[in-house]
Amino acid sequence: MNNKFKFITFAIISLFFSKLVSAEVAPGFNSWDDVKAAAEGQQVNVYMWGGSDAINSFVDDFYGVPLKNDYSITLNRVGIAGTIDAVNQVLSEKEAGITEDNGSIDLIWINGENFWTLKQAGLLYGPFATGLPNSKYVAWDNPAVNLDFGRSVEGMESPWSSAQFHFIYDSARNNYEDMPRNYGELSNWISNNPGRFTYIKPGKAGFVGTRFIKQIFFELSGGHDQWVGPYNDELYTKWAPKVWRLLNSWEENLHRSGETYPANNADMHALFANGEVDMSFTQSPRGAGPTNSSGTTPLTSRAFSFFKNMIGDFNYWAIPYNAPNKAAALIYADLVLEPILQAAQVQPANGFCCGWGIGTDKVTNLEGIAAIKDAQNNLGDAAEDQGILAKALVSDIAAEYQDKIEADWFANVLLK
Amino acid sequence: MNTNLKKINIYAIYLGAFILILPLIAFFINAFSFRWFYPQLVPKELSLQAWVRLKLIPKIDNRSFDNFLELWLSNPTIIKALLNSLTIGLIVTIASIIIALPAARVLGLLNFRFKKIIIFIMISPTILPPIAFVLGLNINFISLGLSGSFFGVCLVHLVPIMPYVVLTMTGIFANYNPDFEHQARTLGANKFKTFYLITLPAIAPGMVVAALFAFLVSWSQYLLTFLIGAGKIMTLPLLVFSTASSGNPALTAALSIVFIFPTILILFFASKFVTGDSSAKYGLGKL
Amino acid sequence: MSGDRLKIILSLTSPLLIIITLFFGGIFYGLLQSLGYQPAIQKYDINFDAYYNVMFSERYAKLFWTGLGLNLWVSFVSTFLAAAFALFGALAIRKTFFAKTFCNFIYSLNLPMPHLVVAIGMIFVFSQSGLLARMSSQVGLIGSPSDFPILVKDKYGLGIILTYVWKESAFFFIILMSVLQSLGENFEELAQSLGANKWQRFRYVILPLIMPSLFSASIIVFAFSFGAYEVPALLGISYPQMLPVMAFEFFLNPDLNARSEGMALSIIIAMIVMILVIIYFWLIQSKIRKN
Repeated sequence: MNNKFKFITFAIISLFFSKLVSAEVAPGFNSWDDVKAAAEGQQVNVYMWGGSDAINSFVDDFYGVPLKNDYSITLNRVGIAGTIDAVNQVLSEKEAGITEDNGSIDLIWINGENFWTLKQAGLLYGPFATGLPNSKYVAWDNPAVNLDFGRSVEGMESPWSSAQFHFIYDSARNNYEDMPRNYGELSNWISNNPGRFTYIKPGKAGFVGTRFIKQIFFELSGGHDQWVGPYNDELYTKWAPKVWRLLNSWEENLHRSGETYPANNADMHALFANGEVDMSFTQSPRGAGPTNSSGTTPLTSRAFSFFKNMIGDFNYWAIPYNAPNKAAALIYADLVLEPILQAAQVQPANGFCCGWGIGTDKVTNLEGIAAIKDAQNNLGDAAEDQGILAKALVSDIAAEYQDKIEADWFANVLLK
Repeated sequence: MNTNLKKINIYAIYLGAFILILPLIAFFINAFSFRWFYPQLVPKELSLQAWVRLKLIPKIDNRSFDNFLELWLSNPTIIKALLNSLTIGLIVTIASIIIALPAARVLGLLNFRFKKIIIFIMISPTILPPIAFVLGLNINFISLGLSGSFFGVCLVHLVPIMPYVVLTMTGIFANYNPDFEHQARTLGANKFKTFYLITLPAIAPGMVVAALFAFLVSWSQYLLTFLIGAGKIMTLPLLVFSTASSGNPALTAALSIVFIFPTILILFFASKFVTGDSSAKYGLGKL
Repeated sequence: MSGDRLKIILSLTSPLLIIITLFFGGIFYGLLQSLGYQPAIQKYDINFDAYYNVMFSERYAKLFWTGLGLNLWVSFVSTFLAAAFALFGALAIRKTFFAKTFCNFIYSLNLPMPHLVVAIGMIFVFSQSGLLARMSSQVGLIGSPSDFPILVKDKYGLGIILTYVWKESAFFFIILMSVLQSLGENFEELAQSLGANKWQRFRYVILPLIMPSLFSASIIVFAFSFGAYEVPALLGISYPQMLPVMAFEFFLNPDLNARSEGMALSIIIAMIVMILVIIYFWLIQSKIRKN
């Protein structure tokens, strides 16, 4: 007993000591001033999913400009079809022996499985996230932040924003009160409205569809709690057949009888907008707001949420081990956590409209508080009641579930 | 009877032309409409929003010439992609002609052993699909540092282009009489003068066809650029492809118009050259 | 003589070098990787696991064989329909005043349109909420989008076929027109004066003359539609899925072992194309010899 206590004390002291000795903010940098000095004049190559031009122009306008003006860093945003492409690039570079600082990617917008692939292979730079000055605004004590799909973040990625799954309907076609509020009600809704519902094909491009299916697991098994933590094969095998049975029972009443499924959220919005189906999915706290103003859904579209089991998650920035401009990457990862810029990403008028990456209660300066308040007041009537969303919020689960669900859905529902 | 048949033929032509032009109509309506959903046949809201979002036209309140210039010079993705496509296309076209010229001359004018085998090797990329070689090439290019480089992309574009350029120009040289060159040389013209005054005018029409074809193939190349460019070399087809899956038809349509407009223009002015019989025509099926 | 030889070698070196190193080199390296030889992840043994996995494993067999079926169906039907439409069009209008206008029209509007753009156009026109569906709804033919036939992103690859026919019939048309124009009318007039009817003139005079061009054009169209990626990627569905899309998805998988499968699939595609082209060649040759 005593020995154990001694050991722990020793460990804590030595940890503290080692921190003092090296005093690193991130590997290779002793102070934030070092980072700033090294970053000057660098070009930061940011690899991110480029499918939303609202997000693209937000990054260019809100990060590109201050990076140039305040830090003399040039932003090179590289739009990719999926994060997987960036992961592949890092893997291919490793395979081709391009290590040290000779890679091509400085930052990847990442979470979940892609993060785990790179972290596990030791292809990430860090830990750096807790060393960023603005890390003080991040709610690191919240499992939804420090676990990414059930895996420890351990400072190898730094948060950007958050999102929560819920639904879109068209108020010109349906009433808010008539929309289903759990999967049981959804089943009835589907059989009463044949051909009017579909969901996104689970897969690399359609993680929203995978999420839709994970939530069925939570509801059928009676709750989300047992799914937290490492992958549990017994649990999965117990409930999976029941989920496939439910999905197959829907099939005849789905859009096109389940012969095809939309490949991503954009496809699903298109079906919804043209009146081919009556619901779509959204991840934005503003509900149907962003798509209404970009013109991809009808102006009468609104949001609704189930009362339980709506998965929310954080997304992050990670730096590959062979990033050529690590200092500039650190500056960028820090910049996006600035409270004013965080408020700007939630502010509907700016078009990005993702959720918070920081804990808003941790912000103490007046300017930041005012900006945050203003953003929250502007979410608009295309959004679901924030209270309902908050009550329904559950965290995402271990990344293995995603792989399993995607492969098994393919075999048990699509190929059936 | 015969006039009836003729009438049917003419209607068939009109129908064919209509079907051919229908997608183009759809592109133009989509590109200038906003919230154009089923069942509207004519859009209720006309808008330039897609062009504004592509950063080709400034926002509504400041559309002066200076604002246009400023916007374009701020180097938005679409301008970057347009310039990349254009530069790669021109480099590849010029390079393929220069490389193919001597080979085509030899193949067209001389007979030698292994000629058939050499031609067979030369045309093999026209039959086997690009996916068969580019996946294997990808790793090699990464380790050579050619992946993600401008040069690497140009190099790989040469593969589908080379066979057609060589074949087309071989065809020209097969009907070409080199005796004129000898005469010019005996009359005292030097090598360059001979080429410039005798050879070039004779092969120019065919060369235009080959060049045109080379440029079009490079311009519309997606798979090779995507894999060898490694996301760093953005060209128009890559932009069109990724936008097509982002669910905004107006944006996709506007981009597609930017993508096809230059080629339509080129072919419109060059169509009189293409009508001759040449091997390059067989490449047009693969654009 | 040896000067000529040197000239030949020097002139041919650079284009051959490009084709051999890039094209055949790429195929060779793909073949090595498909056999499991991946020095980058310390794998040096040669085996056929990837081929077996793709074709016979429980996980992929169904996807592969249905994909192969779809591939053959799409390529054969598109090639045949495109050739048939073009032949019909060319024979119908070659003597009319419109012929030249129509040719120019195709030259400037169809040929420069990349397949990628045509595929997008097909979505705009033929999808269940596309231009044609909206026209049908305006005239009261259909009520909701689901009443319109499923023509794109369908399990029979109709959208893919539509794209190829739209593009390739114009290509065939151009080829045929140039042959027909170069033939002139003497042959036919001769046949007519000998008392041949319209069908006989087509069957015994025109067809044999245009056969070689029709033949090479259809090989190109077939091979292209069998191995192309963009069109099925945009207009296809996940099951059944055409083989090039399947190969590319394997390749993009972060699991490096899946790369062998992707390479194996692309080699299989290349082999099938080669075999079919050889068979086709052989059939046509023996037919020509018979005639």
